[in-house]
Amino acid sequence: MNGTAKSILARDPGFPAATRERSNVYGFLASVFREEATADLLDQIEEPEFRSALSGAGVSFGIDFFDRPRQRLLEELAVEYAWLFIGPGDHVAPFASVYLGGAGGALWGPSTVWVRTFIATAGFEYRPEFHGLPDHVGVEFEFMQHMTSRQASAAERSDGVAQADCRRVEEEFVSDHLARWLPEFCRRTMERATLPFYRELAGLAAGFMRSESEFLAATPAAAC
Amino acid sequence: MTNRRDFLKLGAASATLALAGGGTLTAAKELPHKGGKDFSPKTGKERAAVPTACWQCVTRCPAIGYVEGGRLVKIGGQPSSIRTEGKMCAKGQGGVNQVYDPDRILYPMKRVGARGEGKWKRITWDQALAEVAGRLKKLRDDGHPEKFMFHYGRMKASSSKLIKSVFLGTYGTKTVGNHTSICEGGKWTAQELTWGKHYDNWDFDNARYVVNFGSNCLEAHTNHTPVAHRLARALVERNLRMVTFDVRLSNTAAKSNEWVPIKSGTDGAVALAMCNVIMSEDLYRGDGEAFMTFCRFTKDPTATLDEKVAVLKAHLSSYTPEWAEKISGVDADKIREVAREFATTKPACVISYRGAVAHYNGNDTERAIQMLAAITGNVDNPGGRCRAVGAKWKYPKGPKNKPKAKKLKILDGFKGDAALPTHHMSHRVLKMIKDGKAGRPEVYMWYCYAPVYANGEVQENIDVLKDESMIPFSVCVNPFYDESAALADLILPDATYLERWDWEDMVSPRQIGEYYVRQPVVKPLGEARDFGDVCCELAERMGMPLGFKTKEEFVRKSCEMTPGIKEAGGFEYMKEHGVWHDPKAKPKFYSYKKKVSAKKLEADGVILDEATGVYWNWHKSKAKSEEEASQKGYTHTKNAYKGYVAQMIGDEVVAGFKPDKVNKSGYMELYSAIMEDKGFAPLPTYVSIPEHEAMKPGELILTTYKVAVQIHSRSQNCKWLTEIYHSNPGWINPATAAARGISDGDAIKVKSPVAEIETRARVTPAVVPGVIAISHHCGHWEYGRYASAKKAPLGTDDDPELKRKWWKDNGVHPNWLIANAPDPINGQLRFMDTVVSVTRV
Repeated sequence: MNGTAKSILARDPGFPAATRERSNVYGFLASVFREEATADLLDQIEEPEFRSALSGAGVSFGIDFFDRPRQRLLEELAVEYAWLFIGPGDHVAPFASVYLGGAGGALWGPSTVWVRTFIATAGFEYRPEFHGLPDHVGVEFEFMQHMTSRQASAAERSDGVAQADCRRVEEEFVSDHLARWLPEFCRRTMERATLPFYRELAGLAAGFMRSESEFLAATPAAAC
Repeated sequence: MTNRRDFLKLGAASATLALAGGGTLTAAKELPHKGGKDFSPKTGKERAAVPTACWQCVTRCPAIGYVEGGRLVKIGGQPSSIRTEGKMCAKGQGGVNQVYDPDRILYPMKRVGARGEGKWKRITWDQALAEVAGRLKKLRDDGHPEKFMFHYGRMKASSSKLIKSVFLGTYGTKTVGNHTSICEGGKWTAQELTWGKHYDNWDFDNARYVVNFGSNCLEAHTNHTPVAHRLARALVERNLRMVTFDVRLSNTAAKSNEWVPIKSGTDGAVALAMCNVIMSEDLYRGDGEAFMTFCRFTKDPTATLDEKVAVLKAHLSSYTPEWAEKISGVDADKIREVAREFATTKPACVISYRGAVAHYNGNDTERAIQMLAAITGNVDNPGGRCRAVGAKWKYPKGPKNKPKAKKLKILDGFKGDAALPTHHMSHRVLKMIKDGKAGRPEVYMWYCYAPVYANGEVQENIDVLKDESMIPFSVCVNPFYDESAALADLILPDATYLERWDWEDMVSPRQIGEYYVRQPVVKPLGEARDFGDVCCELAERMGMPLGFKTKEEFVRKSCEMTPGIKEAGGFEYMKEHGVWHDPKAKPKFYSYKKKVSAKKLEADGVILDEATGVYWNWHKSKAKSEEEASQKGYTHTKNAYKGYVAQMIGDEVVAGFKPDKVNKSGYMELYSAIMEDKGFAPLPTYVSIPEHEAMKPGELILTTYKVAVQIHSRSQNCKWLTEIYHSNPGWINPATAAARGISDGDAIKVKSPVAEIETRARVTPAVVPGVIAISHHCGHWEYGRYASAKKAPLGTDDDPELKRKWWKDNGVHPNWLIANAPDPINGQLRFMDTVVSVTRV
């Protein structure tokens, strides 16, 4: 580890913990957007400490949202998810290339290839059973979850070089890619959502992305 | 507005929860794109991968040759190399074409008819070697081995040791020419005068700021790919800041943060003015001040820091930025700005190459640049300008009792040409032979060298090589029929580098030596033979066996003798892996500070030279006794530098800056008593270029350069490379062109005192006014159909792509115009000084 990295860690003993927290937020967002809500996800959301944290982050589902029977709620959310993100009709495409391809934005555009290569170069593989598109919003959140987790592990074992490497990859991915299309995806989701669930969580995603962009720009990788 | 802490609380809260698993991604088992493997696009089968080493340029990158059906089909980088980290440039990849050039020479050929007439007959190797061995043996037996002159262009590592040290050493000639003076010999002499052994490595992995004087290192460099990919990475990933002074917007200048156009041959003025700013504004304090302990700035090496600073400030006082602006055209405020940034950004690296040093004043330009590094403490430090580190091989030295070698005094030019040509003056050799006063070789043999094309004054080179009264018998060792081969009496067909053995040792930017080998990727085509093997046979025929029969045996023995390689598995390991470095080795920085043990100082023959503080072993010098050594002193005893042990600085004895080729002390000598002895200024000084001072109105300066996809003279037969770059119009600034009525694309005539050529104008603001820039590489009139459109004798038609060669323009060769004139100090050919007139045809 270089001197600068040492001094940062010395100054902020919570550094590995904060990185772990970032990873968990990305993980949560990945599980929200990757597929239809599962019972496990709803269980987590209903956990009091987590609900309180959600509320602190400005997320409000309304007081009676979770009052309806669990099965009915899952059903309604599945319908909402499909209507919003799968189609048919005027849905909100959850794929980067649609937003980054300019006026003719389409599935499997150059940015899809970029994401796939970027993720592979960072040392990850798509599971063979995954048949979706490589630039799905859920995949991209999950990628950031893994990278930040990797960074936290490096910080925990005081490996400043590996930590800085992870930070470089995160910064590049967010600034060159994710932050360029996610806000628009979130805006459209919030606009079209009929239930507070996806509207609120898209708002959370947008806010978190803003915060991440600022954070990554303010503390460059070299400072790790 | 939600603040960041609120988001992170969400992460903290979820830490206790088992977040939904599943997921899409998993850590890859292996990193993708690691390299080292290749597959046939037709059959899908994996191709045989043979670790080897490139030889296109002197960088000699570790490489992998891919073979399919017995044919070399592709060359790629070696992922295990710490130098290249798996990268390979276009020139390296184009090496495939060297093997299968349809104009390649595949049989020994003997001239019939007049020399240079182009009539040849095939002879057997037995006939060829009988003739060569017969002539060489006679010269040796007559007591004149020196009349066999061997002249090489590129010969390194094991090839150099086998051919030069062992074969020529056992034979007894020291009339051995090289080509360094047409390359960068001047830079090396300046480094020998300052920090000892030549070659500077630039630590781009750690540097934060780079000042570049005339190096196009992203396109061409003696350590090209290892250096270029690191620089690119530092620029892109670490925001390294770089400022380039150059007469031309090279691609390196273009990728720098700033290109500062500069008048040709004035880099030294800017470097000295930067030193002036740093000293006068006390920016040397800190790292620079600390490093100055190890520097010599004064006649008395033991001067105090205050004395050193005072002398330096006084010496530099007239070299103000305003003074430099008048000479160089660089704005004085820009000089100040760059000097301040360079001195205050740590670490920073100053780099230089032929753009700065291939001039009349190149020696002191390089010394001034060394001073810039020294006064800011950017020498031998992480991120700075470092002394080179390479592999240190052991090898079989051949017969113990070698004769005392003799030589013709034709290697260092005429009396008065240059004061310290420590790398000789190969560009003056043919002139010396023409003159004849210092004797002439009876057999002139050249190897991997293009005496006609690579030197200046091409016509004179042709005339001398053609003249049988000056050179009675000539032998060319070459896989290709180039302009020089066309003038030989006998051509021995060499193997290409992809068909031969070597061990290699080129400098490592990691400051950790890398050991690597070159092995045949395919068998030599036709009857081509590696000249190393040929030397073994010639030695046998002359009754002086070398102790090994082939180059392969030499390399095998070297592997078994070299510590580290031996333990790793020796020759077999190197065959399989290609490269090795000591995994425990630490990068070599600050080695000058290392304390030297008393035991070394007490060894037999070691004495202290009071005048310089150097401990040296007089046995290794030419002194006959300790008394003589003590009386003459270290500085004035011939070859005293060979016995250098350590340097006393204050109360400490340290490794210091070990000398090479000249008797400098162990200080980094910015004050050079050696220069002073030769009648030059001891401290780096600016001298203007006489030809430039005497320029008439309307005249221009010719500057030359290299591009990324060609090496100087030996790659134009590679069709993939020459398809990309074959035409080289003269770059000329719009203002300069307008004054001569020249428009873009016009045919122009470029005339120097030596010759004239015709080319086309490329009118572009990417070159400073007052200059015409013409690249090397082009304008061949032999070297086969891809280079010159001319078929070589015995060339074949079995390359179907010959029909697809679409370009007609083979470009022009600027060397016709350039005089073979030396730098008066180090003898370097002044490639960038030629004054020309340019007119529209």
